Amino acid sequence: MDTVDASVHYSQAIDEKPSLLVLILDTNPYAWSTLSATLPLERALASILIFLNAHLAFSHANRVAVIASHTKSARFLYPTTTTTTTTTAAAAASGSEDPLRDANKYRQFRIIEDQVQASFAELMNQTTAGELVDAKETMMAGALGLALGYVNRLVRVDDGGVLGAGAAGEVTSMNARILVISVSGDLAEQYVPVMNSIFAAQRKKIPIDICKVAGETVFLQQASDTTRGIYMQLEHPENLLQYLMMCFIPDTATRRHLVPPTQINVDFRAACFCHKNVVDIGFVCSICLSIFCTPPEGAICTTCNTKLDISALGNFGGNPAVVLTKKKKTKKLKQSKATSFSNEASATSTPGTPAS
Amino acid sequence: MADSDEDYIATDDEEIGAHNVGKSGRHRPAGGVAAAGGGSGARSKNGNKPGGGAQKRERWEDIKRSWDNVVEGEDGSLSSTVAGLLEAGKRKRLLKDTTPLQRGIIRHLILILDLSSAMMEKDFRPTRYLLSLRYACDFIREYFEQNPISQLGVLGMRDGLAVRVSDLSGNPMDHIEAIGKLRLDEGKGAPSLQNALEMSRAALFHAPSHGTREVVIVFGALLSSDPGDIHQTINRLVEDKIRVSVVGLSAQVAVCRELCKRTNAGDESVYGVALDDKHFRELLIDTTIPPVTRSAKMSASSLLMMGFPSRTVEKTASLCACHSELTKGGYLCSRCSTKVCALPMECPACGLTLILSTHLARSYHHLFPLKNWVEVPWKAASKSTHCYSCQIPFPHPPTKPEELSAPAKTATGTSVSSRYACTVCHNHFCIDCDVFCHETLYNCPACQSSVPKGKVSNGAGGRGDPMEVD
Repeated sequence: MDTVDASVHYSQAIDEKPSLLVLILDTNPYAWSTLSATLPLERALASILIFLNAHLAFSHANRVAVIASHTKSARFLYPTTTTTTTTTAAAAASGSEDPLRDANKYRQFRIIEDQVQASFAELMNQTTAGELVDAKETMMAGALGLALGYVNRLVRVDDGGVLGAGAAGEVTSMNARILVISVSGDLAEQYVPVMNSIFAAQRKKIPIDICKVAGETVFLQQASDTTRGIYMQLEHPENLLQYLMMCFIPDTATRRHLVPPTQINVDFRAACFCHKNVVDIGFVCSICLSIFCTPPEGAICTTCNTKLDISALGNFGGNPAVVLTKKKKTKKLKQSKATSFSNEASATSTPGTPAS
Repeated sequence: MADSDEDYIATDDEEIGAHNVGKSGRHRPAGGVAAAGGGSGARSKNGNKPGGGAQKRERWEDIKRSWDNVVEGEDGSLSSTVAGLLEAGKRKRLLKDTTPLQRGIIRHLILILDLSSAMMEKDFRPTRYLLSLRYACDFIREYFEQNPISQLGVLGMRDGLAVRVSDLSGNPMDHIEAIGKLRLDEGKGAPSLQNALEMSRAALFHAPSHGTREVVIVFGALLSSDPGDIHQTINRLVEDKIRVSVVGLSAQVAVCRELCKRTNAGDESVYGVALDDKHFRELLIDTTIPPVTRSAKMSASSLLMMGFPSRTVEKTASLCACHSELTKGGYLCSRCSTKVCALPMECPACGLTLILSTHLARSYHHLFPLKNWVEVPWKAASKSTHCYSCQIPFPHPPTKPEELSAPAKTATGTSVSSRYACTVCHNHFCIDCDVFCHETLYNCPACQSSVPKGKVSNGAGGRGDPMEVD
């Protein structure tokens, strides 16, 4: 206990950087409507706003951004640029109407609440029933791209004319993290862009935290695993605020002293390109890295049309060579028999090779 | 290094003679390598080169004065010029060929470090030796980042011999540790290109035909002390389809130039001489991008069997097969259930290549590159006020009509309106997002955040197109 003294405390406080939180809210109306019994979207939004305010309350230099990953588009909810007039008008209108509005409210909180609510309402007004007919997807790849672009600008230290310094010395002015509140599943065709975003986040050392309210997503599991973020599958979605406050509030610097919840079993198995089977052992084209569960027909890659050489595989998948038990005729011929036997064994193994 | 202090004017006869080192097999410094550029070469202005006068001017022949570029702005300060120069630099770095070429994704590369006495020069700080070791570590990290399913080995050239630093393997930490040990040492003796190339040829002999065979040389000296004829070694390298790229630290050396030219089908761009430490790093890191497959013969395509293991967490610790260390978690080989602690790796028991699907995904951006974005003229600039991705405000369009009709591209190559547009979705971005999207993200955020008309754009869209073979 003697080691705990004031000096330790002060030395740690020196390297404290402000933190930037980019929250990506999956606003797929279809998925939220299935959740309406336990966690209606309005309550979720209220919880999220409290969480954002809590983050801002830690330090006056902390920043937030909110991005909506909608069915057909991904866009910024805060900070917004496009409709400044309507948001201020909406803010003014709500300010005059709302009796619960407190004039003494911290300005930063109010700005964020107003802007997020206004742009969220705008987003929902623009969403028509016709668009939602078969819209089960969410533009997660775009939202991650926007988030990373925004983080990239805010985090970068002015390199003072030194080109390429961002690559050489990774000095950042802020600790950034991305929190995804996800309600819907993966979209297979977004695989490559989502993966690219994940690797970009990994290179920039930006953890991607996943708050999984509903649905199943392998991509986001891999995202949090690769970037060392938190993964949390909510058992009781109605307590969203508590989950957010307990698990997702610590910033990257604080997490070193905590044991954050992560996903232990991440599904890393690959799905083959030919039958979408999940495979343990697969065959990979050396040109385009397509995965197949069995060597493709005629040994031609279905993705890049390359004629593949499958001789290196040996006789994998072929019938095992059966050792022919021949009766030994005489003891004298044993030597010559042994040689002919080995010839035959190698001869029987070749037909097992898949036909090229 | 003796010849680097003289004004050496090479003639063609001498040059050939210099490489035909005695057949006796004795070590003899092949001193008369035509040196140009750098400290000594800059003085010999006649620039004697093997090819003669028809070639393009060398970089050192044009004298650049950096202060000529700086012009005072309208307000009398330099800030606008400096900002413009910065942007031009970023833009220049970006514009590269984005044709989806077939690339050798599975690489086998030998990094040869010069550990000779020439590396003790202090023109790079602290010394060439220490700086090249530091950048070698950066190179190794970046190499495995870009090529997760590739192999790397490190050799050194010292005392006229080739020294094995680390064997061909897929684990970056092995190499970085081995290079760390070299730090305590210092450069000694003369380098031997031939010995090092022969040793790397032997190391790459077993590389499978579907992968590439490459050698990257960091070469500080201006001489090579070879036991035999290096041209024969070059011929053998060509036969074995080994590509060599060289990063020179002092000056251009004729034999390196020939080496690169012969082994890269006449392409000399893989030979670069570093102007300063930043340029040195750039040249070295550039070699981490998978090389273009030049002909179908260059590397045979084949189907590889790979295992995609799942991670396991055990209650009690057990030994891993790769390092014999007690670990609680790990990956079990899909074929023989041997436990390994890190991926990618070849199963120590059955030899199956074990990888994660994410490792394959990491290479996809080389195969489906993001198209370059184009400059936006003032006329088209009014549709956006902010960068689509980072929300930074753009400058307003000018009011004067003559400025409005200015061409989109300025003299320095930057966009006149500071906006850059994606050719697919026509959204506008700032230069920083342009750099970030092309160098780190490899996606267009705008294409990904709106539903495309017809089919999916960018990465997934490129998938259907057949790849071009150069």
